Amino acid sequence: MNTMTQDILPGENKGAALKKVKAHIKAYIIDVLLWSYIVLAGWKIVYEKAIIGARYSNFSWDQPLLSLGLGFVIALVLFFTRVSIGKAVNGLYERNPEKTVLSEPFTILGYVIFAITFVSGLLISQVSIREFLSESGLHGAKRIFLALFNPNFAIIQDALFAGVETIYMAFIATAVALPVAFILAFFAARNLMNGSRLTMTIYSVVRFLLNVSRSIEPLVWAIIFSVWVGIGPFAGMLALSLHSVSSLSKLYSEQIENISDGPIEAMTATGAHPIQIIWYGVVPQIVLPYLSFTIYRWDINVRMATVIGLVGGGGIGTLLMQYQGLAKWNEVGLLVIIIAAIVWIMDYLSSKIREAIK
Amino acid sequence: MLKVTELHKKYPNGTHALKGVSFDVKQGEFLVVIGLSGSGKSTLLRCINRLHEPSHGTINFEGSDITNIKGQPLRTLRSKIGMIFQHFNLIPRKTVMTNVLAGSLSRTSIFKSILGMFSDEEREKAKRFIKIVGLAGKENQRADNLSGGQQQRVSIARALMQNPKVLLADEPVASLDPATSHSVMQYLKKVNEELGVTIICNLHFLSLVRQYASRVIALKGGKLIYEGQPLDIDENWFKTIYGEEAVEVTID
Repeated sequence: MNTMTQDILPGENKGAALKKVKAHIKAYIIDVLLWSYIVLAGWKIVYEKAIIGARYSNFSWDQPLLSLGLGFVIALVLFFTRVSIGKAVNGLYERNPEKTVLSEPFTILGYVIFAITFVSGLLISQVSIREFLSESGLHGAKRIFLALFNPNFAIIQDALFAGVETIYMAFIATAVALPVAFILAFFAARNLMNGSRLTMTIYSVVRFLLNVSRSIEPLVWAIIFSVWVGIGPFAGMLALSLHSVSSLSKLYSEQIENISDGPIEAMTATGAHPIQIIWYGVVPQIVLPYLSFTIYRWDINVRMATVIGLVGGGGIGTLLMQYQGLAKWNEVGLLVIIIAAIVWIMDYLSSKIREAIK
Repeated sequence: MLKVTELHKKYPNGTHALKGVSFDVKQGEFLVVIGLSGSGKSTLLRCINRLHEPSHGTINFEGSDITNIKGQPLRTLRSKIGMIFQHFNLIPRKTVMTNVLAGSLSRTSIFKSILGMFSDEEREKAKRFIKIVGLAGKENQRADNLSGGQQQRVSIARALMQNPKVLLADEPVASLDPATSHSVMQYLKKVNEELGVTIICNLHFLSLVRQYASRVIALKGGKLIYEGQPLDIDENWFKTIYGEEAVEVTID
């Protein structure tokens, strides 16, 4: 029994009606987009490439527009039947409990969309069994595989040094990112920042910047930094730490959002300063998960450092790129073995450590 | 020492939790607040140390109006009001000692508290309070490894560390078993009688109320509907406070 009263506002019924209209509009928009996609993909990819067999179909911008127009019409006609996916995902159909979702008409339309996408995908990626099994192709592959399985141990010293460079580079990238992410995470945690409008603004700005920098691949950052500070491990490290800051901040702040409010409330009640509240009420709850994320991040950074080396980020990746460019497959074989060993060891160690501190 | 006048609290979601509550608390009292879940007891307690902001009305503590103070004055006020919680709210993974020392944060500088540099004096004091709540020798154990009753006693020691004038207890025994409940209530009584700390405590069980309270107020739907001596709550009052259907459950 709850004796707390809820004030019922007079506009609440109107709100519900408005919500229903909005859901219908959303459903219709989804249907239009889906039908336009079906028309466009079916026509330009499946029909022209597979059935007519045109290698390069001529494209003009009226074609997607025409598809969109057709989409509007088809979606409108079918909106009142049970094949509207938009209505289904917005929960506007009354469900028959005896029937499973899988046998509903809108699910069958879903299968059709999947089939069109699958066929289009095959056509666009130019999947060809003939080329996969062609004689000259197989011959080339055999040559490379033989060389790879016959690694040249003469360069093992260079390769190991480059591998060590990669590991240290990843370590420094993680270590530099750690304190920055640690501080940023507090500003990106909703439960700490929802106090006033000012803090919410800071929260939104920090979140936005983190999302933008995270959505740019470290590979792209490495290209930018290798122009900025010159090709080498420093550029790779900068690229990795930038990306680590954004992804660690995100993981950290999610951890902060999951903590229990009890200790924070208790620390506030003692009259502690906000910084003391964070240090005593928040930090003890997040230290272990942070440690675990950070070690995992180092592990990821070692793998990424290899890839980043390919574009001039230094370490074993750069070495790999050089030998590959010279078509020295025996040397490449050795590098591949060393990379695999490093990744495997890092993976094993990081999972062991993370298990131990859980 | 504490005077609450016409206190209203309306949450942003529209819940009107307190609807004009007024009462006085005298020095040295053991005041118990009773009422159903959702009657506004917790909100009332949290308005007193301003963990929640009152929407309307005034709170007067030791002669000064504290309804709207902010910043350092608010922190100083909170340091004079200890609080213990239903779920103890101890700092996880920290020792009993650190948890009790956290009660002295308001008079420790930010820098020293981050480094954990509490003075010997504070440590001695913490030890004394740990002894008072019967946990001597457990100073260096992790607080989250203790039993529920012991954790609640750590939180009493933490509150005492603040040198509080008032101790707010929000359902301190609601997550404990009957025997432990009595032990925790007895420690609260000891704090009240021997250290002279005024206590305002939310409780569910009337049997506990009769045993420990020096005065009782009852809330229903955010309004104060009863104020008096614990032994004066008869069958009729009980039904008014808890509803016609209610049957009293005892805890012994």
